Amino acid sequence: MDTLNYLMQGFGVALTPMNLLLALIGCFLGTLIGALPGLGPANGVAILIPLAFTLGLPPESALIMLTAVYSGAMYGGRISSILLNIPGDEPAMMTCLDGYPMAQQGKAAEALAISAVASFIGSLVACIGLILLAPALAKFALTFGPADYFALFVLAFATLGGITGKNPMKTLLAAALGLMMSTIGIDISTGNQRYTFDILELYEGIDFIIAIVGLFAISELLFFIERRISDGDETIKVNKLKIKWKEILAIIPTSLRGGVVGFVAGVLPGAGASLGSFLSYTIEKRMLGSKNRFGEGDPKGVAAPESGNNGAANGALVPMLTLGIPGSGTTAVLLAMLVSLNITPGPLMFQQHAEIVWGVIAALLVGNFLLLLLNIPMVGIFVKLLSVPPKYLMPIVTLVAIVGIYSISHSAFDLYFMIFFGVLGYILRKIEIPLVPVILGLLLGPEMEKNLRHAMMLSDGDWAVLWSSWLSIAIWAIAIIGLITPYIVGPMLRRRMRVKTADEVTED
Amino acid sequence: MIMTFNDRIFGILMLLLAVAYGWQAQQFPEPFGGAEAIGPETFPTVLAIVLGLTSLYLIVRPDPDNGWPWGKTMIEIVVAIVALIIYTLMLEPVGFIIATTLMVGVLCWRMGAKLLPAFLTGLISAIVTFVLFNYGLELTLPLGVLEF
Repeated sequence: MDTLNYLMQGFGVALTPMNLLLALIGCFLGTLIGALPGLGPANGVAILIPLAFTLGLPPESALIMLTAVYSGAMYGGRISSILLNIPGDEPAMMTCLDGYPMAQQGKAAEALAISAVASFIGSLVACIGLILLAPALAKFALTFGPADYFALFVLAFATLGGITGKNPMKTLLAAALGLMMSTIGIDISTGNQRYTFDILELYEGIDFIIAIVGLFAISELLFFIERRISDGDETIKVNKLKIKWKEILAIIPTSLRGGVVGFVAGVLPGAGASLGSFLSYTIEKRMLGSKNRFGEGDPKGVAAPESGNNGAANGALVPMLTLGIPGSGTTAVLLAMLVSLNITPGPLMFQQHAEIVWGVIAALLVGNFLLLLLNIPMVGIFVKLLSVPPKYLMPIVTLVAIVGIYSISHSAFDLYFMIFFGVLGYILRKIEIPLVPVILGLLLGPEMEKNLRHAMMLSDGDWAVLWSSWLSIAIWAIAIIGLITPYIVGPMLRRRMRVKTADEVTED
Repeated sequence: MIMTFNDRIFGILMLLLAVAYGWQAQQFPEPFGGAEAIGPETFPTVLAIVLGLTSLYLIVRPDPDNGWPWGKTMIEIVVAIVALIIYTLMLEPVGFIIATTLMVGVLCWRMGAKLLPAFLTGLISAIVTFVLFNYGLELTLPLGVLEF
């Protein structure tokens, strides 16, 4: 019953008026970020981190707000999928399949309402899963030694591209680049300067918040300019909602299943939200057999992927909170937030910062209810904002990013650095080098080196210590499988996902 | 014929980086108190090897290229980057409001907005942000030449 106790304490944190208000703001901003095409959740949360700092919020409040943004973004992704046939973020891709046909048939409001309910159920299922699984996993993780941790970091990088990833070697290369950036600065344990080139600003290392905002936000601006997207898209008019309880009840079993599938996909390394929504859609289609009208605007075809992707979003928090190892871009950004608040995520966090962990978990639940309330009556507002043309929107988003970075330390150097990272991000994306491993490397580098150091010190310099326990061998094995499988099943899975979403995906 | 220059050139650059980075790691002075089993150079050396191997893979088995936006689009992208750099230069001496109006205005305009609405968007967003930060959050953004 410990868990329940902690959870109640968590609610105590999450339900203070101040935190509740922040959660509400976070949910609103998150939905907005998710809804706007091209402004993905990782990008959105990254831009908001410096702002959460400037507000001078205590760690749990900042984290509650940003978790709310995170879950909001997952809700928001569906709006543009349904109304524009353009996924707001990658996991929302599958929602286009039945959401857009429904909207074309004049049932946009119903599609939006059903997807909100499905998102809610999916999140709820996964929240319960998180509450049950996280403490147990954290307890287990306490037995990990430094060598096991080192292997775990390798596993995280090896599976980051996901089994649908295109080229695992590029993921590794990106990870190496990020880790290399993390070694810049004064070495903590020996005091040696490494790669500082006598530039004073580099002594403390590269601030990952600056790197994240540059890599995501600024490179996104450059991409918008390249694609010459300047005007908003035509949205389908939202009709008046006339949904019957029966229709909502009909999608509940689908959503429950979707939530479970999504949660599992979110927890496992290498799966993630996109695969979660894909699996949930496919499984549901198969389960319904000939009764389904998937692809022609079946409400269940909207519910399945939405519950799947929201389930996965919460599932992805499990490895992030318990092991300190995020499995996706957005959870990496949330991790960045924790690290900059001087909280080291991982099993110890459950003991040392229990109030934060449980506050966040409770905030997820509260945020979920807020989102449901926010999304059904207020969907019209989001739809209006969706029609703000990017030619005005992107410069303003850029301004918010700049002001956020500038307000951290009032230094022009940081801004040049951000612009540099923006250009770098643009080039890397052009060469299809994924950005998330770069960021994860920058973030996890110091911890990874610390664990390597501890392990090697215990063994007196014998490298074999890194694969000397059963646990570490198992982790290495999974990491290697994670690197090889994309070559085998990747092309097949990608092809199937592509056939399903045939020419509906605007970018690959 | 599928072009594969991007990956090959990038691979070569990364290979050079790996060598330079790895070589530099070997030059670190021995830490105070004598060498230990693992020094400041160990982790960087491992990373240099990983980067080296993956960039070799990229050179040997490159993916097909994405086209680069040459010509007009490239100029637009460079204009945007230059606008951001000039903004950073101007921010403190000239002040937040003027610099922001110009930066946001130029970006909106270059992205296809008409001149007047573009700079109006810039001015409004500058003033709103300034007021929000300086009075709401009590963080000072530089006022620059507008200061009396």
